[in-house]
Amino acid sequence: MATTAESLEREQKLEGVGCSKRRKEDPRFIQGKGNYVDDIKMPGMVFGDFVRSPHAHARIKGINKEKALALPGVVAVLTADDLKPLNLHWMPTLAGDKQAVLADEKVAFQYQEVAMVIAEDRYIAADATELVEVEYEPLPAIVDPHTSMDDDAPIIREDVADADEVGQGKRRHPNHIFSWDVGDKEATERAFNDAEVTVKQAMLNHRVHPSPLETCGCVASFDKVNNKLTVWLTSQAPHIVRTVVSLLSGVPESNVRIISPDIGGGFGNKVGVYPGYVVSIVASIVLGVPVKWIEDRIENLSTTAFARDYHMEGELAADKEGNIKAMRVNVLADHGAFNSHAQPTKWPAGLFSICTGSYDIPTAYANVDGVYTNKAPGGVAYRCSFRVTEAVYVIERMMDVLAQKLEMDPAELRIKNFIKPEQFPYQSALGWEYDSGDYHTAFKKVMDAVDYEGLRKEQAEKKARGEIMGIGISTFTEIVGAGPSKACDVLGVGMFDSAEIRVHPTGSIIARMGTITQGQGHATTYAQIIATELGIPSDEITIEEGDTDTAPYGLGTYGSRSTPVAGAATVNAARKIREKARKIAAHLLEVSENDLEWDVDQFRVVGSPDQTKTMKEIAWAAYNDVPDGMEMGLETVDYYDPPNFTYPFGAYVTVVDIDKYTGEASIRRFYALDDCGTRINPMIIEGQVHGGLNEGFAVAMGQELPFDEDGNLLGNTFMDYFWPTMVETPKWELDYTVTPSPHHPMGAKGVAESPHVGSIPCFSNAINDALMQFGITHVDMPHNAFRVWKTLHELNLDKD
Amino acid sequence: MQVKIEKVFTIDAPSASAWQFLQDISGVAGCMPGAEITEQVDDNNYKGSVKVKIGPATAAFKGDIEIKGIDADKRELHMLGTGADVKGTSSASMDLVAFVRDGDDGKCELVGNAAVTVNGKMASLGGRMMTQVSDQILKQFGANFANNVMAMGDGAAAEAAASKAAEQPKELNAFGLMWGVVVGFFKGLFGKK
Repeated sequence: MATTAESLEREQKLEGVGCSKRRKEDPRFIQGKGNYVDDIKMPGMVFGDFVRSPHAHARIKGINKEKALALPGVVAVLTADDLKPLNLHWMPTLAGDKQAVLADEKVAFQYQEVAMVIAEDRYIAADATELVEVEYEPLPAIVDPHTSMDDDAPIIREDVADADEVGQGKRRHPNHIFSWDVGDKEATERAFNDAEVTVKQAMLNHRVHPSPLETCGCVASFDKVNNKLTVWLTSQAPHIVRTVVSLLSGVPESNVRIISPDIGGGFGNKVGVYPGYVVSIVASIVLGVPVKWIEDRIENLSTTAFARDYHMEGELAADKEGNIKAMRVNVLADHGAFNSHAQPTKWPAGLFSICTGSYDIPTAYANVDGVYTNKAPGGVAYRCSFRVTEAVYVIERMMDVLAQKLEMDPAELRIKNFIKPEQFPYQSALGWEYDSGDYHTAFKKVMDAVDYEGLRKEQAEKKARGEIMGIGISTFTEIVGAGPSKACDVLGVGMFDSAEIRVHPTGSIIARMGTITQGQGHATTYAQIIATELGIPSDEITIEEGDTDTAPYGLGTYGSRSTPVAGAATVNAARKIREKARKIAAHLLEVSENDLEWDVDQFRVVGSPDQTKTMKEIAWAAYNDVPDGMEMGLETVDYYDPPNFTYPFGAYVTVVDIDKYTGEASIRRFYALDDCGTRINPMIIEGQVHGGLNEGFAVAMGQELPFDEDGNLLGNTFMDYFWPTMVETPKWELDYTVTPSPHHPMGAKGVAESPHVGSIPCFSNAINDALMQFGITHVDMPHNAFRVWKTLHELNLDKD
Repeated sequence: MQVKIEKVFTIDAPSASAWQFLQDISGVAGCMPGAEITEQVDDNNYKGSVKVKIGPATAAFKGDIEIKGIDADKRELHMLGTGADVKGTSSASMDLVAFVRDGDDGKCELVGNAAVTVNGKMASLGGRMMTQVSDQILKQFGANFANNVMAMGDGAAAEAAASKAAEQPKELNAFGLMWGVVVGFFKGLFGKK
């Protein structure tokens, strides 16, 4: 008879859910055997490089290609006029606007794509871009979004100057894109009028860039004979790219093959379709040879989408005891020159309405206005679900601002207002149904671990000695796993995801998903899910993603959606296979399937434990001995449309010591507790949390895309753009609780983005907490040494 | 990106000579290291070029110079130079108001107020050095200008100035320039209270 110990041993051999299995993909990466887009080489391949605008806003008076074309090795120089006959000089954006593929009569941001040189050699292409003569007439540029809707503001988009809308509802100025609001405006106003205490604070989630290690690029190869277009592309969403490419090019979708090979980090940067992809594809169709385009670092940081740039004003209303009555947020969103915001179609501000956070706030109202400026287009979700970082930042900062006003400890204020465990599923004032959570338990665990009271005591003692210390708290809730198709679609395609599992006769498995890993470890995690569900060792399970010719249709990997959506599809597909396996086992054992029970990796006859069929035996039988009327084989596909989002949460505390003479903040301690529901691979989770915290640290403490008053980008190389290395990176202390999602088949919620979303306000709260001791209420990020020093200097604290 | 610079150069020559030289546009342009007037379009408009050499790389700017006004009463020249580098990646302009006034001991002073604007790659990559670089360029300009004016006089000093003026570099040597910038930067760092 099978003992528990014996079952446990078999279970451990599977290396399934819960096992800190080493990543299956790592041996190839650490040996330099990855296969990235720039590794693709094809016979006859030519190379594209862009001529870009030096001006943020200018009219193009003329383009002279002659000298460039005369350079030996140059194949073609393409401009908007060349794409016009194909109607591809503009392309639609995810947000319902359109974007110039190559500048059409004017440029609207610095480094905008003006022409592409195609040459036989990457270096010749680069040389030739300098020979293309473009005559510009500079125009005044809008850099500050607060001036975009001034009466005398220059019109950035003459092409839509008179349009009533640009895909997101009514506009009120040629530089206005949309107004979007949610919540009960009047009730919120009443609550603020009646409140005993109110606070209001302006704050900026500054413009940053996800800056993955690998920049964007593609190799487009059009086979004229077979009318087949193959594109290797740095994409987080290859299937939706295939649909877009087919619609734009007229090549049937079945003849378009998008391959996302190994991807060197995405972080939202690789969700969109960029001009480089479009021009390369057109060039390959026209020239009939493969065309490679790989952008350099300056191009990536300058043009290929940005994140954030939300100018926010947060307000909270409460009673004197600190019970929050209402929240109001007004946002001015700088979307750049084209609205290429990454979003589910109906959500112009993404999921920003999660801004009531982890707190039971009865009434709320949020309003977002999007405007054009002379900056690069974008608005991608940098390691977060759509606009969730901005939402979490405003509520977590406002909690500290309110605590200061009430002269209450920010931890106490949070505990007082947390949604209680018995309130789940919780309906938020702005329309979300939080699936599960236990915020009190998580926060208490962290407070105890860091000795919060002791830290506050130390802070007061240090202040008395003239030393400056800050304590940052962030108790955040995320909304991830987009999403239910009733709420979310991309260009009309519902945001489901998929998994296809095929069990071979010998019992090994190949599975394919509609997602694509960029470092998240899908090859390991998905295999572990299947191992647990089907009883096949995860080492014998191959995961394949990113090739649209083989993988089932899915919406890709971003917004922490792989585990909540494709992970659920994987579980469901595996369970369908297990049901078929049960029928085959019953047939082989000559019993009723109701008499069988599943035990780790086999079906067992209830009450007769020696009568078993392992999954491997069943797999073999699936190809030679199935019940009458059953199809041979053991494979299935599942498309999963999630019933709800998932709501992972966490509680973070950080301690910073600030050098009052230099403004340098050193992170003494960072304690991060994450609750992502069921934990599939704890080691991968820890790695993801480390990465997320590191990028949160980067954004809060240094990353920034600054512009001068003429729209010149002043920080587009790694000389300026902060990328924390092991020198700067603090030590992370991790912890967790497990509150499974009730609607996910495994209870998993997604984790990779929580640490980014949650840590940014944590760092910012720590710096502000340090300064609040001296009467400051809020200073904006990034909290680099110079900016912190400036505040200390103004306060006269930088002297003995 | 715009920086505003105000400079005063003392010249060991009478102010009348300095004013005379200031009205010679080609001569004044020639004082700018690496710059020359290539064509006179009409009374008030010229075409010119500037070459900058940084290590192995040479950047060449071509542009227009417009005389906005010459005020003999104030001994003041107002000119606007606009240009773009021939690779099309940067553009620059300088709005300059310069005048001459009497100084002490028979010397005179050339006072220049310039608003320098750069756009494109030069602003992105070199923005933070703009003030220092412009400062160095103007320092060389001032020295060349003074030499040219002094050369208009008589005697050994004038001859020495003339030979110095003739020796002035034919292109803007950014290596020397960078050294000046670096020295200036450190002086600024430690020299100020």
